[in-house]
Amino acid sequence: MTITCNQLDDLLLEGDRFSLEVAARHAQSCDACMQKLAGWNEISDTARDLHATWNNDLLWPRIEKAIRNEHRGTRTRVWQVAAALLLLAALGATAWIAQRRMHAADFDETILKASAVDEVERAEKAHIAAINHLESIAAAKLEQPSTPLLVSYKDKLMMLDDAIAQCQTAIDHNRQNAYLRTQLLTMYSEKQRTLQDVLREGNHASNQ
Amino acid sequence: MDAVASAVDLPRPVTLTIPPEPPPRLSEDDLRLARACAGGDSDVFASIYDRHGERMKSIAYNQLGNVSDAEDAVQETFLKVHRAASSYNGEAAFTTWLYRILINTCYDMLRKRSRRIREAPIDDLIAGGRAANAVDDVKRMALRKLLNELPEQRRTVFALFEIEGLSHAEIAGILDITEGNSKWILFSTKKQLQEKWKSS
Repeated sequence: MTITCNQLDDLLLEGDRFSLEVAARHAQSCDACMQKLAGWNEISDTARDLHATWNNDLLWPRIEKAIRNEHRGTRTRVWQVAAALLLLAALGATAWIAQRRMHAADFDETILKASAVDEVERAEKAHIAAINHLESIAAAKLEQPSTPLLVSYKDKLMMLDDAIAQCQTAIDHNRQNAYLRTQLLTMYSEKQRTLQDVLREGNHASNQ
Repeated sequence: MDAVASAVDLPRPVTLTIPPEPPPRLSEDDLRLARACAGGDSDVFASIYDRHGERMKSIAYNQLGNVSDAEDAVQETFLKVHRAASSYNGEAAFTTWLYRILINTCYDMLRKRSRRIREAPIDDLIAGGRAANAVDDVKRMALRKLLNELPEQRRTVFALFEIEGLSHAEIAGILDITEGNSKWILFSTKKQLQEKWKSS
């Protein structure tokens, strides 16, 4: 294969065995290319001499120790992560159990509250029934009041009945309101006293 | 090389540069090797060091300019291999991957230490396996000085091909460039060096 001087660079760029053989063959007949190729190869020859070699018997043990330490560190980190996850799971489970217990306690408290209100209502009903019985006894004296005082008691009882009815409506909307229940009890007590006064006044008037 | 020179009957001053053949790629073996490295297998690391340690030291030395830094770079490379081995997917040959890590470690060290290789003392006594003479020493020092003035990539391509004897295919894999690119970088670098070589 014959080449021209202009093609020498292409062969050097390719750089494989065949290209360099062709370049060398051409250089034998061309002084300029011979010099160029000689300089080219001189760089390569000098570069090969730059390959560095030295012995250090301590280097591999040092590297081995560093790798061992790092590997141990990695394993420790894995265990640490596993322990952290376990701890997190334990904390989560504890929190869940505690929350469940709290829910149960709230439920029990609600049930207890409801049963206490039921007890109060039962007592109130008994109380009201007793007052109603008293009212039925006094009713005859109030239908045709014979004294101005009985008239006044009759008005008072009507007002108390209105107030009791309003209070009862309010309690129906809020069963657990203790204040309203106290108010209702006060009004019933007042009604009871008034009815007793009616009976006393009625007896007194009939004796006259 | 002498055999080739005599076969084509070349005059004495002209010598040929024959790049070595690329080693065969064994992906399965490489994956097994990487798994062993990830598991911290000391024997596997030792065998890698036996096979590649000398070349790794030379590459690092020619990048960093002194023995101590070169040994640190080799150690750091092995640690990085241990850390990253679990993510090795066999895309590149294990050896290519190993040298890529080494080169990047050298680059990192050069940048981190803000120390230019030309400013570092070069211990030329350890360089070269041949019997040194005064002329060779002068040539080596001149070439090393010229190399130190080159940009990172050009210096690396030249060093891997001409000093360490790697093929363009291997260099392309290590530096993540094409084979043609590697050839072109080497050619233009040698042209540049030749110009300065003449004037020095």
